[in-house]
Amino acid sequence: MGVPAVAMVTSAFDELATSTAFKKGMPGLRVSFTPHPITGRTTEESNEYLKGNDPVSGKPMLTEIVAGLQAKLAEQDKQAGEIKREERPRFLAEDTADNLQQMFQDNMWTDGLPVILPTEEKVKAMLKGTSHKADEIVGEMRPSGPHEAWKYTVEMVATNAVMAGAKPEYLPVILAIASTGQTSLVSSTSSFARMAVINGPIRDEIQMNSSIGALGPFNQANAAIGRAWTLVSKNLGGSGTPGSTYLGSTGNPLNYGNMTFPEAEENLPEGWNPLHVQKGFKKEENVVSILSGWSFNTIAWFSPLPQQDVIKNWLTHFFSFGTGSATIIVDPIVAVELKNNGFATKEQFAAYLMEKSANPGWLYWSTHEEEYKKAKEGVEPFASYLKLGETAEVPVSRYVRRQPPPGAPAAPAGMPPRNPIEVIAVGGGTNTYWSGGDFSYVSGASIDKWK
Amino acid sequence: MKFVIRWLVGAFVIASVVWAGMVAAADGKIKVLNPRGIMPAIKQIPMAERPDTLDGKTIYIVDTKFANTKPFVNALRDNLAAAYPKTNWVGVDKVGGYMQDDPNLWAEIKAKGHGAIVLLGH
Repeated sequence: MGVPAVAMVTSAFDELATSTAFKKGMPGLRVSFTPHPITGRTTEESNEYLKGNDPVSGKPMLTEIVAGLQAKLAEQDKQAGEIKREERPRFLAEDTADNLQQMFQDNMWTDGLPVILPTEEKVKAMLKGTSHKADEIVGEMRPSGPHEAWKYTVEMVATNAVMAGAKPEYLPVILAIASTGQTSLVSSTSSFARMAVINGPIRDEIQMNSSIGALGPFNQANAAIGRAWTLVSKNLGGSGTPGSTYLGSTGNPLNYGNMTFPEAEENLPEGWNPLHVQKGFKKEENVVSILSGWSFNTIAWFSPLPQQDVIKNWLTHFFSFGTGSATIIVDPIVAVELKNNGFATKEQFAAYLMEKSANPGWLYWSTHEEEYKKAKEGVEPFASYLKLGETAEVPVSRYVRRQPPPGAPAAPAGMPPRNPIEVIAVGGGTNTYWSGGDFSYVSGASIDKWK
Repeated sequence: MKFVIRWLVGAFVIASVVWAGMVAAADGKIKVLNPRGIMPAIKQIPMAERPDTLDGKTIYIVDTKFANTKPFVNALRDNLAAAYPKTNWVGVDKVGGYMQDDPNLWAEIKAKGHGAIVLLGH
Protein backbone atom coordinates (compact mmCIF):
# COMPACT_ATOMS: atom_id res chain seq x y z
CA MET A 1 0.00 0.00 0.00
CA GLY A 2 2.94 2.30 0.63
CA VAL A 3 1.52 3.93 3.77
CA PRO A 4 1.74 2.94 7.45
CA ALA A 5 -0.76 0.20 8.18
CA VAL A 6 -2.04 -1.74 11.16
CA ALA A 7 -3.96 -4.98 10.82
CA MET A 8 -6.68 -5.77 13.34
CA VAL A 9 -7.48 -9.42 13.89
CA THR A 10 -9.33 -11.32 16.59
CA SER A 11 -7.17 -13.10 19.13
CA ALA A 12 -8.13 -16.58 17.86
CA PHE A 13 -5.98 -15.88 14.81
CA ASP A 14 -2.83 -14.71 16.58
CA GLU A 15 -0.62 -17.42 15.09
CA LEU A 16 -2.22 -17.21 11.64
CA ALA A 17 -1.79 -13.42 11.47
CA THR A 18 1.85 -13.41 12.53
CA SER A 19 2.84 -16.38 10.34
CA THR A 20 1.03 -14.89 7.34
CA ALA A 21 2.77 -11.53 7.83
CA PHE A 22 6.10 -13.39 7.81
CA LYS A 23 5.29 -15.43 4.70
CA LYS A 24 4.06 -12.34 2.84
CA GLY A 25 7.39 -10.65 3.51
CA MET A 26 6.53 -8.28 6.33
CA PRO A 27 7.49 -10.05 9.56
CA GLY A 28 7.29 -6.79 11.53
CA LEU A 29 3.74 -5.96 10.44
CA ARG A 30 1.93 -4.17 13.25
CA VAL A 31 -1.03 -6.29 14.30
CA SER A 32 -3.52 -5.43 17.04
CA PHE A 33 -5.75 -8.13 18.40
CA THR A 34 -9.29 -7.84 19.68
CA PRO A 35 -11.10 -10.32 21.91
CA HIS A 36 -12.63 -13.12 19.87
CA PRO A 37 -15.17 -13.11 18.29
CA ILE A 38 -16.24 -9.66 17.13
CA THR A 39 -18.92 -10.98 14.81
CA GLY A 40 -22.37 -10.35 16.26
CA ARG A 41 -21.10 -7.95 18.98
CA THR A 42 -23.31 -4.95 19.73
CA THR A 43 -22.01 -1.38 19.70
CA GLU A 44 -21.92 -1.42 23.52
CA GLU A 45 -19.94 -4.66 23.59
CA SER A 46 -17.60 -3.32 20.92
CA ASN A 47 -17.00 -0.16 22.95
CA GLU A 48 -16.08 -2.28 25.96
CA TYR A 49 -13.63 -4.29 23.85
CA LEU A 50 -12.03 -1.11 22.50
CA LYS A 51 -11.62 0.45 25.94
CA GLY A 52 -9.80 -2.66 27.08
CA ASN A 53 -6.44 -4.21 26.31
CA ASP A 54 -5.21 -6.19 23.34
CA PRO A 55 -5.63 -9.75 24.69
CA VAL A 56 -2.35 -10.87 23.11
CA SER A 57 0.03 -7.99 23.98
CA GLY A 58 -1.82 -6.82 27.09
CA LYS A 59 -1.49 -3.19 25.94
CA PRO A 60 -4.41 -0.70 25.69
CA MET A 61 -5.94 -1.35 22.29
CA LEU A 62 -6.41 2.19 20.95
CA THR A 63 -2.97 3.46 21.99
CA GLU A 64 -1.41 0.32 20.51
CA ILE A 65 -3.13 0.98 17.15
CA VAL A 66 -1.96 4.59 17.10
CA ALA A 67 1.56 3.55 18.07
CA GLY A 68 1.52 1.06 15.21
CA LEU A 69 0.80 3.91 12.79
CA GLN A 70 3.30 6.47 14.10
CA ALA A 71 5.99 4.86 16.28
CA LYS A 72 9.46 4.76 14.72
CA LEU A 73 10.32 1.56 12.89
CA ALA A 74 13.07 -0.80 13.96
CA GLU A 75 15.94 -1.16 11.50
CA GLN A 76 14.91 -4.71 10.57
CA ASP A 77 11.45 -3.44 9.55
CA LYS A 78 13.03 -1.27 6.86
CA GLN A 79 15.07 -4.01 5.26
CA ALA A 80 14.51 -5.61 1.86
CA GLY A 81 15.92 -8.83 0.43
CA GLU A 82 15.39 -12.52 0.92
CA ILE A 83 14.33 -13.89 4.30
CA LYS A 84 16.19 -17.06 5.25
CA ARG A 85 14.00 -20.10 5.69
CA GLU A 86 14.65 -23.41 7.39
CA GLU A 87 16.83 -25.94 5.57
CA ARG A 88 15.09 -29.05 4.32
CA PRO A 89 17.71 -31.66 3.47
CA ARG A 90 16.69 -34.75 1.51
CA PHE A 91 17.44 -37.03 4.47
CA LEU A 92 16.71 -36.52 8.15
CA ALA A 93 19.42 -37.17 10.72
CA GLU A 94 19.79 -40.88 11.47
CA ASP A 95 18.01 -42.09 14.58
CA THR A 96 16.22 -45.09 16.00
CA ALA A 97 12.84 -46.05 14.58
CA ASP A 98 11.12 -45.17 17.84
CA ASN A 99 12.75 -41.76 18.00
CA LEU A 100 11.91 -41.05 14.36
CA GLN A 101 8.29 -42.06 14.91
CA GLN A 102 8.17 -39.63 17.82
CA MET A 103 9.85 -36.94 15.74
CA PHE A 104 7.27 -37.35 12.97
CA GLN A 105 4.49 -37.05 15.57
CA ASP A 106 6.05 -34.05 17.32
CA ASN A 107 6.45 -32.21 14.03
CA MET A 108 2.88 -33.07 13.00
CA TRP A 109 4.05 -34.87 9.85
CA THR A 110 1.45 -37.60 10.45
CA ASP A 111 -2.31 -37.83 10.79
CA GLY A 112 -1.86 -38.54 14.48
CA LEU A 113 -1.19 -42.24 13.97
CA PRO A 114 2.15 -44.03 13.51
CA VAL A 115 3.45 -44.09 9.96
CA ILE A 116 5.62 -46.45 7.94
CA LEU A 117 9.05 -44.81 8.18
CA PRO A 118 10.20 -43.76 4.67
CA THR A 119 13.61 -45.42 4.44
CA GLU A 120 15.55 -45.05 1.21
CA GLU A 121 14.83 -48.68 0.33
CA LYS A 122 11.07 -48.32 0.82
CA VAL A 123 10.92 -45.06 -1.16
CA LYS A 124 12.99 -46.60 -3.93
CA ALA A 125 10.58 -49.54 -4.09
CA MET A 126 7.64 -47.12 -4.12
CA LEU A 127 9.16 -45.23 -7.06
CA LYS A 128 8.93 -48.41 -9.13
CA GLY A 129 5.19 -47.63 -9.31
CA THR A 130 5.82 -44.80 -11.79
CA SER A 131 7.96 -44.21 -14.86
CA HIS A 132 8.49 -40.59 -13.88
CA LYS A 133 11.83 -39.33 -12.61
CA ALA A 134 12.20 -38.92 -8.87
CA ASP A 135 13.13 -35.25 -9.14
CA GLU A 136 10.27 -34.24 -11.44
CA ILE A 137 8.07 -31.52 -9.99
CA VAL A 138 4.52 -32.86 -9.62
CA GLY A 139 2.77 -29.61 -8.71
CA GLU A 140 2.17 -27.14 -5.95
CA MET A 141 -0.38 -26.96 -3.17
CA ARG A 142 -1.52 -24.45 -0.57
CA PRO A 143 -3.85 -24.67 2.44
CA SER A 144 -6.21 -22.07 0.90
CA GLY A 145 -6.09 -19.10 -1.46
CA PRO A 146 -4.19 -16.57 0.68
CA HIS A 147 -1.53 -19.03 1.85
CA GLU A 148 1.83 -19.71 0.20
CA ALA A 149 2.17 -22.71 -2.12
CA TRP A 150 4.77 -25.44 -1.65
CA LYS A 151 6.17 -27.47 -4.53
CA TYR A 152 6.97 -31.18 -4.48
CA THR A 153 8.72 -33.83 -6.51
CA VAL A 154 7.73 -37.38 -7.43
CA GLU A 155 10.11 -38.66 -4.72
CA MET A 156 8.48 -36.47 -2.08
CA VAL A 157 5.04 -37.81 -3.01
CA ALA A 158 6.45 -41.36 -2.93
CA THR A 159 7.89 -40.69 0.54
CA ASN A 160 4.46 -39.72 1.84
CA ALA A 161 2.88 -42.67 0.03
CA VAL A 162 5.25 -45.01 1.93
CA MET A 163 4.31 -43.30 5.20
CA ALA A 164 0.61 -43.87 4.45
CA GLY A 165 1.05 -47.61 3.93
CA ALA A 166 0.58 -47.53 0.16
CA LYS A 167 1.84 -50.14 -2.31
CA PRO A 168 3.89 -49.04 -5.36
CA GLU A 169 0.97 -49.79 -7.66
CA TYR A 170 -1.10 -47.12 -5.87
CA LEU A 171 1.50 -44.44 -6.59
CA PRO A 172 0.06 -43.22 -9.95
CA VAL A 173 -3.28 -42.55 -8.20
CA ILE A 174 -1.56 -40.64 -5.40
CA LEU A 175 0.55 -38.68 -7.89
CA ALA A 176 -2.60 -37.82 -9.86
CA ILE A 177 -4.25 -36.51 -6.68
CA ALA A 178 -1.10 -34.52 -5.85
CA SER A 179 -1.00 -33.13 -9.39
CA THR A 180 -4.38 -31.45 -8.89
CA GLY A 181 -2.84 -29.16 -6.25
CA GLN A 182 -5.95 -29.68 -4.14
CA THR A 183 -5.29 -29.99 -0.44
CA SER A 184 -7.49 -32.35 1.55
CA LEU A 185 -7.15 -30.04 4.57
CA VAL A 186 -8.57 -26.72 3.47
CA SER A 187 -7.75 -23.94 5.90
CA SER A 188 -11.14 -22.51 6.79
CA THR A 189 -12.93 -22.17 10.11
CA SER A 190 -15.77 -24.11 8.46
CA SER A 191 -14.01 -27.52 8.58
CA PHE A 192 -14.05 -28.58 4.94
CA ALA A 193 -13.97 -32.20 3.80
CA ARG A 194 -12.77 -33.58 0.47
CA MET A 195 -13.62 -36.63 -1.61
CA ALA A 196 -11.59 -38.56 -4.20
CA VAL A 197 -13.47 -40.79 -6.65
CA ILE A 198 -11.44 -43.18 -8.78
CA ASN A 199 -12.71 -44.37 -12.16
CA GLY A 200 -11.28 -46.65 -14.81
CA PRO A 201 -9.70 -50.14 -14.97
CA ILE A 202 -7.07 -49.29 -12.35
CA ARG A 203 -9.75 -49.75 -9.67
CA ASP A 204 -9.56 -53.50 -10.21
CA GLU A 205 -5.85 -53.59 -11.03
CA ILE A 206 -5.00 -52.28 -7.57
CA GLN A 207 -7.92 -54.10 -5.94
CA MET A 208 -9.87 -51.15 -4.68
CA ASN A 209 -13.22 -51.85 -3.07
CA SER A 210 -16.35 -50.43 -4.68
CA SER A 211 -18.62 -53.02 -3.08
CA ILE A 212 -19.71 -53.77 0.51
CA GLY A 213 -18.33 -51.18 2.91
CA ALA A 214 -16.53 -49.23 0.19
CA LEU A 215 -16.65 -46.03 2.21
CA GLY A 216 -15.44 -47.76 5.37
CA PRO A 217 -12.07 -49.03 6.66
CA PHE A 218 -12.01 -52.37 4.83
CA ASN A 219 -9.55 -52.06 1.97
CA GLN A 220 -5.86 -51.18 1.84
CA ALA A 221 -5.97 -49.30 -1.47
CA ASN A 222 -8.99 -47.16 -0.53
CA ALA A 223 -7.54 -46.45 2.91
CA ALA A 224 -3.89 -45.87 1.99
CA ILE A 225 -4.63 -43.61 -0.99
CA GLY A 226 -6.97 -41.50 1.14
CA ARG A 227 -4.44 -41.36 3.96
CA ALA A 228 -1.65 -40.47 1.55
CA TRP A 229 -3.69 -37.47 0.42
CA THR A 230 -3.80 -36.23 4.02
CA LEU A 231 -0.04 -36.66 4.44
CA VAL A 232 0.69 -35.04 1.07
CA SER A 233 -1.54 -32.11 2.07
CA LYS A 234 0.27 -31.67 5.38
CA ASN A 235 3.85 -32.31 4.40
CA LEU A 236 3.93 -31.18 0.78
CA GLY A 237 1.05 -28.72 0.68
CA GLY A 238 1.85 -26.84 3.88
CA SER A 239 -1.59 -27.62 5.31
CA GLY A 240 -2.78 -28.92 8.61
CA THR A 241 -1.05 -27.02 11.39
CA PRO A 242 -3.90 -26.09 13.75
CA GLY A 243 -4.01 -22.36 14.43
CA SER A 244 -1.74 -21.49 11.53
CA THR A 245 -2.57 -23.40 8.37
CA TYR A 246 -5.69 -25.19 9.60
CA LEU A 247 -8.51 -23.28 11.25
CA GLY A 248 -11.47 -25.71 11.18
CA SER A 249 -13.17 -25.00 14.46
CA THR A 250 -14.50 -28.50 15.12
CA GLY A 251 -12.46 -30.31 12.48
CA ASN A 252 -14.00 -32.95 10.25
CA PRO A 253 -13.75 -36.75 10.71
CA LEU A 254 -14.04 -37.19 6.94
CA ASN A 255 -10.49 -35.79 6.66
CA TYR A 256 -9.07 -39.11 7.94
CA GLY A 257 -9.74 -41.10 4.78
CA ASN A 258 -10.93 -38.21 2.62
CA MET A 259 -13.82 -40.33 1.31
CA THR A 260 -11.57 -42.07 -1.20
CA PHE A 261 -13.36 -44.79 -3.14
CA PRO A 262 -13.81 -46.20 -6.65
CA GLU A 263 -17.14 -45.85 -8.40
CA ALA A 264 -18.96 -49.17 -8.95
CA GLU A 265 -18.92 -48.64 -12.71
CA GLU A 266 -19.66 -52.23 -13.69
CA ASN A 267 -22.91 -52.19 -11.73
CA LEU A 268 -24.26 -48.93 -13.13
CA PRO A 269 -27.46 -49.43 -15.10
CA GLU A 270 -27.19 -49.06 -18.86
CA GLY A 271 -27.15 -45.39 -19.85
CA TRP A 272 -25.74 -44.22 -16.51
CA ASN A 273 -22.22 -43.01 -17.24
CA PRO A 274 -19.38 -43.19 -14.72
CA LEU A 275 -18.36 -39.87 -13.18
CA HIS A 276 -15.20 -39.47 -15.28
CA VAL A 277 -17.13 -40.01 -18.52
CA GLN A 278 -19.62 -37.35 -17.39
CA LYS A 279 -16.63 -35.02 -17.05
CA GLY A 280 -15.33 -35.63 -20.56
CA PHE A 281 -12.82 -38.45 -20.07
CA LYS A 282 -12.95 -41.74 -22.00
CA LYS A 283 -14.37 -44.78 -20.25
CA GLU A 284 -11.10 -46.71 -20.50
CA GLU A 285 -9.10 -43.85 -18.97
CA ASN A 286 -8.05 -43.97 -15.33
CA VAL A 287 -9.10 -40.78 -13.61
CA VAL A 288 -9.35 -39.35 -10.12
CA SER A 289 -12.06 -36.77 -9.44
CA ILE A 290 -11.81 -34.35 -6.54
CA LEU A 291 -14.95 -33.11 -4.81
CA SER A 292 -15.23 -30.61 -2.01
CA GLY A 293 -17.83 -30.19 0.71
CA TRP A 294 -18.43 -30.34 4.43
CA SER A 295 -21.16 -32.77 5.45
CA PHE A 296 -22.36 -36.25 4.72
CA ASN A 297 -25.51 -38.20 5.68
CA THR A 298 -26.04 -41.93 5.39
CA ILE A 299 -29.71 -42.67 4.74
CA ALA A 300 -31.12 -46.08 5.60
CA TRP A 301 -34.82 -45.56 5.11
CA PHE A 302 -37.82 -47.35 3.73
CA SER A 303 -40.74 -45.34 2.42
CA PRO A 304 -43.88 -45.96 0.38
CA LEU A 305 -42.66 -43.05 -1.76
CA PRO A 306 -40.44 -43.83 -4.75
CA GLN A 307 -36.70 -43.40 -4.14
CA GLN A 308 -36.46 -40.26 -6.25
CA ASP A 309 -38.96 -38.49 -4.02
CA VAL A 310 -37.35 -39.62 -0.78
CA ILE A 311 -34.04 -38.22 -2.10
CA LYS A 312 -35.77 -35.07 -3.34
CA ASN A 313 -37.38 -34.49 0.08
CA TRP A 314 -34.08 -35.11 1.84
CA LEU A 315 -32.44 -32.54 -0.45
CA THR A 316 -35.15 -30.01 0.38
CA HIS A 317 -34.54 -30.26 4.10
CA PHE A 318 -30.81 -31.07 4.19
CA PHE A 319 -29.06 -28.08 5.69
CA SER A 320 -25.33 -27.45 5.84
CA PHE A 321 -22.74 -24.80 5.24
CA GLY A 322 -22.55 -25.92 1.63
CA THR A 323 -26.20 -25.45 0.85
CA GLY A 324 -26.58 -25.18 -2.93
CA SER A 325 -24.50 -28.18 -3.97
CA ALA A 326 -25.05 -31.87 -3.40
CA THR A 327 -23.54 -35.23 -4.26
CA ILE A 328 -25.80 -38.25 -4.00
CA ILE A 329 -24.03 -41.57 -3.55
CA VAL A 330 -26.38 -44.40 -4.40
CA ASP A 331 -25.94 -48.11 -4.00
CA PRO A 332 -25.97 -49.65 -7.50
CA ILE A 333 -29.30 -51.36 -6.77
CA VAL A 334 -30.77 -47.93 -6.02
CA ALA A 335 -29.36 -46.73 -9.34
CA VAL A 336 -31.14 -49.64 -11.07
CA GLU A 337 -34.37 -48.79 -9.23
CA LEU A 338 -34.10 -45.16 -10.33
CA LYS A 339 -33.45 -46.27 -13.91
CA ASN A 340 -36.55 -48.46 -13.73
CA ASN A 341 -38.49 -45.47 -12.39
CA GLY A 342 -37.77 -43.61 -15.62
CA PHE A 343 -34.42 -41.90 -15.20
CA ALA A 344 -32.43 -43.04 -18.22
CA THR A 345 -29.27 -41.20 -17.17
CA LYS A 346 -27.66 -39.71 -14.08
CA GLU A 347 -28.19 -36.30 -15.65
CA GLN A 348 -31.95 -36.88 -15.92
CA PHE A 349 -32.12 -37.88 -12.28
CA ALA A 350 -30.07 -34.84 -11.20
CA ALA A 351 -32.29 -32.56 -13.31
CA TYR A 352 -35.37 -34.00 -11.59
CA LEU A 353 -33.89 -33.29 -8.18
CA MET A 354 -32.90 -29.78 -9.21
CA GLU A 355 -36.38 -29.05 -10.53
CA LYS A 356 -38.49 -30.67 -7.82
CA SER A 357 -36.60 -30.02 -4.62
CA ALA A 358 -37.62 -26.95 -2.63
CA ASN A 359 -36.48 -24.88 0.34
CA PRO A 360 -37.64 -24.71 3.95
CA GLY A 361 -39.04 -21.20 4.44
CA TRP A 362 -36.56 -20.20 7.12
CA LEU A 363 -33.62 -21.27 4.93
CA TYR A 364 -34.96 -19.59 1.82
CA TRP A 365 -35.27 -16.25 3.60
CA SER A 366 -31.86 -16.67 5.22
CA THR A 367 -30.26 -16.81 1.79
CA HIS A 368 -32.52 -14.44 -0.20
CA GLU A 369 -32.24 -10.99 1.36
CA GLU A 370 -33.45 -9.09 -1.73
CA GLU A 371 -36.42 -11.37 -2.19
CA TYR A 372 -37.31 -10.89 1.48
CA LYS A 373 -37.42 -7.12 0.98
CA LYS A 374 -39.65 -7.60 -2.06
CA ALA A 375 -41.90 -9.96 -0.11
CA LYS A 376 -42.31 -7.31 2.58
CA GLU A 377 -43.27 -4.82 -0.14
CA GLY A 378 -45.96 -7.20 -1.42
CA VAL A 379 -44.12 -8.20 -4.61
CA GLU A 380 -45.22 -11.59 -5.94
CA PRO A 381 -44.45 -14.45 -5.82
CA PHE A 382 -42.31 -13.60 -2.79
CA ALA A 383 -45.20 -12.16 -0.76
CA SER A 384 -47.08 -15.45 -1.14
CA TYR A 385 -43.99 -17.43 -0.18
CA LEU A 386 -43.68 -15.38 3.01
CA LYS A 387 -47.28 -16.11 3.93
CA LEU A 388 -46.48 -19.83 3.89
CA GLY A 389 -44.51 -19.41 7.12
CA GLU A 390 -40.97 -20.35 8.02
CA THR A 391 -41.58 -24.09 8.35
CA ALA A 392 -43.39 -24.51 5.01
CA GLU A 393 -41.61 -25.37 1.78
CA VAL A 394 -40.93 -22.51 -0.61
CA PRO A 395 -41.14 -23.96 -4.15
CA VAL A 396 -37.70 -22.75 -5.23
CA SER A 397 -34.78 -25.17 -5.53
CA ARG A 398 -31.42 -24.40 -3.96
CA TYR A 399 -29.72 -26.60 -6.52
CA VAL A 400 -29.51 -24.36 -9.56
CA ARG A 401 -26.80 -23.55 -12.05
CA ARG A 402 -25.40 -20.19 -11.06
CA GLN A 403 -23.86 -17.81 -13.52
CA PRO A 404 -20.37 -16.64 -12.54
CA PRO A 405 -20.39 -13.13 -11.05
CA PRO A 406 -19.58 -10.26 -13.44
CA GLY A 407 -15.85 -9.91 -13.95
CA ALA A 408 -15.09 -13.43 -12.71
CA PRO A 409 -12.35 -15.17 -14.74
CA ALA A 410 -13.60 -17.56 -17.40
CA ALA A 411 -13.40 -21.28 -16.65
CA PRO A 412 -10.38 -22.97 -18.28
CA ALA A 413 -11.02 -24.45 -21.72
CA GLY A 414 -12.35 -27.99 -21.49
CA MET A 415 -13.48 -27.56 -17.90
CA PRO A 416 -16.78 -29.37 -17.48
CA PRO A 417 -19.72 -27.31 -16.23
CA ARG A 418 -20.19 -27.37 -12.50
CA ASN A 419 -23.27 -29.42 -11.72
CA PRO A 420 -25.26 -28.44 -8.64
CA ILE A 421 -25.96 -32.15 -8.13
CA GLU A 422 -23.60 -35.05 -8.83
CA VAL A 423 -24.64 -38.71 -8.69
CA ILE A 424 -22.12 -41.48 -7.99
CA ALA A 425 -22.72 -45.21 -7.49
CA VAL A 426 -20.92 -47.33 -4.90
CA GLY A 427 -21.86 -50.18 -2.60
CA GLY A 428 -22.45 -53.89 -2.38
CA GLY A 429 -26.19 -54.08 -2.93
CA THR A 430 -27.02 -55.39 0.53
CA ASN A 431 -29.89 -52.91 0.70
CA THR A 432 -31.53 -50.06 -1.19
CA TYR A 433 -29.75 -47.37 0.75
CA TRP A 434 -27.95 -44.22 -0.28
CA SER A 435 -25.95 -41.34 1.09
CA GLY A 436 -25.67 -37.67 0.34
CA GLY A 437 -23.80 -34.55 1.23
CA ASP A 438 -22.97 -31.03 0.15
CA PHE A 439 -20.02 -31.99 -2.03
CA SER A 440 -19.39 -30.45 -5.44
CA TYR A 441 -16.98 -31.37 -8.22
CA VAL A 442 -13.68 -29.45 -8.20
CA SER A 443 -11.43 -31.09 -10.79
CA GLY A 444 -10.29 -34.33 -12.35
CA ALA A 445 -6.82 -35.65 -13.23
CA SER A 446 -5.47 -38.45 -15.38
CA ILE A 447 -3.94 -41.34 -13.44
CA ASP A 448 -2.50 -42.86 -16.63
CA LYS A 449 -0.22 -39.83 -17.01
CA TRP A 450 1.54 -40.86 -13.79
CA LYS A 451 1.98 -44.56 -14.51
CA MET B 1 50.21 -46.56 -10.47
CA LYS B 2 47.30 -44.13 -10.94
CA PHE B 3 44.99 -47.07 -11.46
CA VAL B 4 46.09 -48.65 -8.19
CA ILE B 5 45.56 -45.40 -6.28
CA ARG B 6 42.10 -44.98 -7.79
CA TRP B 7 41.29 -48.57 -6.93
CA LEU B 8 42.47 -48.09 -3.33
CA VAL B 9 40.49 -44.85 -2.93
CA GLY B 10 37.37 -46.51 -4.37
CA ALA B 11 37.77 -49.49 -2.11
CA PHE B 12 38.19 -47.19 0.88
CA VAL B 13 35.01 -45.25 0.04
CA ILE B 14 32.97 -48.44 -0.40
CA ALA B 15 34.35 -49.88 2.82
CA SER B 16 33.54 -46.63 4.65
CA VAL B 17 29.94 -46.68 3.43
CA VAL B 18 29.52 -50.32 4.39
CA TRP B 19 31.15 -49.69 7.75
CA ALA B 20 28.94 -46.63 8.40
CA GLY B 21 25.88 -48.70 7.54
CA MET B 22 27.01 -51.47 9.88
CA VAL B 23 27.61 -48.98 12.69
CA ALA B 24 24.20 -47.40 12.10
CA ALA B 25 22.57 -50.81 12.08
CA ALA B 26 24.50 -51.76 15.21
CA ASP B 27 23.24 -48.56 16.85
CA GLY B 28 19.73 -49.43 15.75
CA LYS B 29 19.68 -46.19 13.80
CA ILE B 30 18.06 -45.81 10.41
CA LYS B 31 18.04 -43.13 7.75
CA VAL B 32 14.75 -41.85 6.38
CA LEU B 33 13.74 -39.30 3.79
CA ASN B 34 12.47 -35.88 4.73
CA PRO B 35 8.73 -35.90 4.00
CA ARG B 36 8.34 -32.15 3.53
CA GLY B 37 7.90 -30.10 0.37
CA ILE B 38 9.75 -27.13 -1.08
CA MET B 39 8.88 -23.78 0.45
CA PRO B 40 9.00 -20.66 -1.71
CA ALA B 41 11.53 -17.91 -1.10
CA ILE B 42 10.27 -14.88 0.81
CA LYS B 43 11.20 -11.40 -0.29
CA GLN B 44 11.02 -8.94 2.58
CA ILE B 45 8.99 -5.80 1.88
CA PRO B 46 10.27 -2.71 3.70
CA MET B 47 7.58 -1.17 5.88
CA ALA B 48 6.46 2.41 5.24
CA GLU B 49 8.08 5.14 7.32
CA ARG B 50 5.90 6.37 10.16
CA PRO B 51 5.04 10.04 10.65
CA ASP B 52 5.99 11.86 13.87
CA THR B 53 2.37 12.55 14.64
CA LEU B 54 -1.08 11.62 13.36
CA ASP B 55 -2.39 15.14 14.00
CA GLY B 56 -3.81 16.55 10.78
CA LYS B 57 -3.40 13.22 9.03
CA THR B 58 -6.04 11.09 7.32
CA ILE B 59 -6.22 7.45 8.37
CA TYR B 60 -8.49 5.04 6.50
CA ILE B 61 -10.32 2.36 8.46
CA VAL B 62 -10.85 -0.42 5.93
CA ASP B 63 -13.69 -2.81 6.61
CA THR B 64 -13.15 -6.15 4.89
CA LYS B 65 -16.83 -6.85 5.61
CA PHE B 66 -16.72 -10.07 7.52
CA ALA B 67 -20.30 -11.03 8.45
CA ASN B 68 -21.94 -9.12 11.34
CA THR B 69 -18.92 -7.03 12.30
CA LYS B 70 -20.13 -3.56 11.23
CA PRO B 71 -21.00 -2.43 14.80
CA PHE B 72 -17.41 -3.14 15.84
CA VAL B 73 -15.94 -1.33 12.82
CA ASN B 74 -18.11 1.73 13.46
CA ALA B 75 -17.28 1.63 17.17
CA LEU B 76 -13.57 1.58 16.34
CA ARG B 77 -13.94 4.67 14.15
CA ASP B 78 -16.01 6.50 16.80
CA ASN B 79 -13.66 5.61 19.66
CA LEU B 80 -10.57 6.69 17.70
CA ALA B 81 -12.28 9.93 16.67
CA ALA B 82 -13.15 10.66 20.29
CA ALA B 83 -9.66 9.85 21.61
CA TYR B 84 -7.69 11.44 18.73
CA PRO B 85 -9.88 14.28 17.39
CA LYS B 86 -7.03 15.98 15.47
CA THR B 87 -6.82 13.00 13.11
CA ASN B 88 -9.28 12.51 10.25
CA TRP B 89 -10.56 8.90 10.58
CA VAL B 90 -12.27 7.75 7.36
CA GLY B 91 -14.29 4.54 7.30
CA VAL B 92 -14.42 2.68 3.95
CA ASP B 93 -15.64 -0.71 2.74
CA LYS B 94 -13.36 -2.86 0.62
CA VAL B 95 -15.02 -4.26 -2.52
CA GLY B 96 -16.19 -7.85 -2.63
CA GLY B 97 -15.75 -10.48 0.02
CA TYR B 98 -12.96 -10.52 2.56
CA MET B 99 -10.75 -12.63 0.26
CA GLN B 100 -10.99 -10.22 -2.71
CA ASP B 101 -8.25 -7.70 -3.49
CA ASP B 102 -9.15 -4.02 -3.98
CA PRO B 103 -6.25 -2.29 -5.82
CA ASN B 104 -8.34 0.83 -6.48
CA LEU B 105 -8.86 1.36 -2.77
CA TRP B 106 -5.18 0.82 -2.01
CA ALA B 107 -4.36 3.46 -4.68
CA GLU B 108 -6.86 5.88 -3.15
CA ILE B 109 -5.39 5.41 0.31
CA LYS B 110 -1.89 5.98 -1.01
CA ALA B 111 -3.01 9.16 -2.82
CA LYS B 112 -5.25 10.68 -0.17
CA GLY B 113 -4.32 9.02 3.12
CA HIS B 114 -1.43 8.81 5.53
CA GLY B 115 -2.16 5.38 6.93
CA ALA B 116 -4.70 2.58 7.21
CA ILE B 117 -6.20 0.17 9.69
CA VAL B 118 -7.40 -2.99 7.96
CA LEU B 119 -9.92 -5.07 9.89
CA LEU B 120 -10.40 -8.80 9.41
CA GLY B 121 -13.17 -11.01 10.84
CA HIS B 122 -14.33 -13.12 12.70
